[in-house]
Amino acid sequence: MNFTQRAMLYISRKKGKTVSLFLVVFVVAVFLISCFGVLNASERLSRDIRISLGAAFYIRANTEVQMNENGETEVKENNIHIVQKEIDEIMQTGEIKYYNPINYGFAKSDVIQFIPGDKHTKESNMGKVTALRFSALAPNFTDETAVLTEGKHITEADKGKILISEQLANANKLSVGDTLTLTHAKLGEADGAYIDEIPVKTAYAQVEVLGIYKLNTPDTAIKPTAGVADNEIYASLDVLNELHESETGVYTGEVDFYITDPAKLESITRNVQILQSIDWTTHFIRTNDFQYSKITDQLSSLSDLVKILLVLVSVVSTAFLTLLLTMRMRSRMQETGILLSVGVSKGQIIGGLLLEVLSVTIIALVLSYITSLCVTGFLGHSLFGELQPNLINEETITAGMQNSLQIENYLKLSAVETLFIYLCQLVVIAASTFVSSIMIMRLKPKEILSKMS
Amino acid sequence: MSIVKICNVKYSYNGNRTVLKNICTEFDMGKIYAILGPSGCGKTTLLSLLGGLDSPSDGQVLFQGEDIEKRGLAWHRKNNVAFIFQSYNLIEYMTPAENVALTSKLPPLPILERLGLTKEEAKRNVLKLSGGQQQRVAIARALASDAGVILADEPTGNLDEDTAVEITNILKECAHEMNKCVIIVTHSNDLAKQADVILCLKKGELQKL
Repeated sequence: MNFTQRAMLYISRKKGKTVSLFLVVFVVAVFLISCFGVLNASERLSRDIRISLGAAFYIRANTEVQMNENGETEVKENNIHIVQKEIDEIMQTGEIKYYNPINYGFAKSDVIQFIPGDKHTKESNMGKVTALRFSALAPNFTDETAVLTEGKHITEADKGKILISEQLANANKLSVGDTLTLTHAKLGEADGAYIDEIPVKTAYAQVEVLGIYKLNTPDTAIKPTAGVADNEIYASLDVLNELHESETGVYTGEVDFYITDPAKLESITRNVQILQSIDWTTHFIRTNDFQYSKITDQLSSLSDLVKILLVLVSVVSTAFLTLLLTMRMRSRMQETGILLSVGVSKGQIIGGLLLEVLSVTIIALVLSYITSLCVTGFLGHSLFGELQPNLINEETITAGMQNSLQIENYLKLSAVETLFIYLCQLVVIAASTFVSSIMIMRLKPKEILSKMS
Repeated sequence: MSIVKICNVKYSYNGNRTVLKNICTEFDMGKIYAILGPSGCGKTTLLSLLGGLDSPSDGQVLFQGEDIEKRGLAWHRKNNVAFIFQSYNLIEYMTPAENVALTSKLPPLPILERLGLTKEEAKRNVLKLSGGQQQRVAIARALASDAGVILADEPTGNLDEDTAVEITNILKECAHEMNKCVIIVTHSNDLAKQADVILCLKKGELQKL
């Protein structure tokens, strides 16, 4: 009888011992794979947050706020705008990946019935137009107040393209690819009613619906129709130019500057603020790191915790496995003595023990892989669900495609990583078996048989 | 014809307590030997040296004229000798047939049947057999190995009188009919009387009675 046959007999006959070894290896493997999955996810997520557009600063031409004679605050149009030349100078300070100027205006269309707001009339049937270079970088999309559900985002290459809300699209049976004509409008107020201050239409823009977005939080505030969030139209910059509501290279709204490394946000804004050509008394700057610091702090703490846990589990499980295998070996001292007395070599005895342990281990590892996928998924959603950031990557900006972040993709370990962990476990288990069997193997056969009797 | 010879064999525990002093003797094929002696006199140690379970402090154990250390003790145990122990020493998770198969590639059932075990008994767990049956399995394992020398340490020590007689007869058969050299260490005078040669180990010296 060779050692393979002996090993298989032991595995099949000593079911209790086989199952106990299987369970220990299985539990340890599931734990290790899950912990490594979480650790891997926190590190990759941290890295992706850094390399995505993790932070921005915004420059806005200051509007003058005054008190009128009735004691009410009044925003006075001071005609200070941001111009392309200023943007170009800011871009030259370096480490800024994209800029996104914004113009605001209003528009009407014969084929659009806007979602009615406060005191809705045919005259006030208009929507706010936010014209920009990259719609994915609009604050509503970066903070996930709005999510693109169909079509693509507007990019700098697009002309005559718009994004409309799902509710507006449904109300007007519009879908991606539909074309329509917009005309200019201006919201005013007269005798307690909202009016269009441009009654005679002279400017038109032919636009195509490029995408449809959905608002994550319903807008419940009482506003005129043009102020209803679902009526907001995101458009490429040329649309408001065609409607004579803006000029090329002159921006009435704020201009967003996106940087790739949130850690450098402060130093970059410092460099921008020392530019002499910009009048900082009429321009103000604000920063936003999209909760980068909060998220990375949490990820870093989580990563540290998992590392400590991994070290503890690895040490405890190795000690426990060695103890278990030592006890297993001691209970087999008689068998070892018998095998030695019939001339089986020590190498063959150790080989048989290793084969037994490794056979059970390999089965446990294979099954642990399947289980760890579920455990890791559960752990990942529990741990990362709260701090899931909206990553704005290169693809979103240039191709207009936005894929929502899938935590599962971060939790999955690569085949090489998984095999490496399993290989380490196999080595630890093989070494534990070897170490625990050495104690007995160092005895002379006579000593073993004497201990037995 | 001498199959095993021990020449000037000395053995002491940790270099202090000497249990065997310059022992020289020979064991022939086809004979049954009984080694008697008080407890702790070194009988089992002598058997261990003959079987290659341990090495003498001094002197040689020769098998067919060759020092057993030359090819290695494991080789000697595998090819030249077979043990029968008082406590049977069977592997508990194996059946009798599997225990016998440990030492032989030959089918174990004919050997077990020859020693009085049925086919059903040969496939049971060894721990479910009686003491006598377990000792028969141990003898079957020794016979299956085809070794020329059978070393038995108190083979009837755990058995009742009738079973002890049966086991003794089987051992005699091994020596006289199968031409094996059977060396038995025992306290039992009844068993010793069945031997062809009786040796007595006293104060580290072996004497023929």
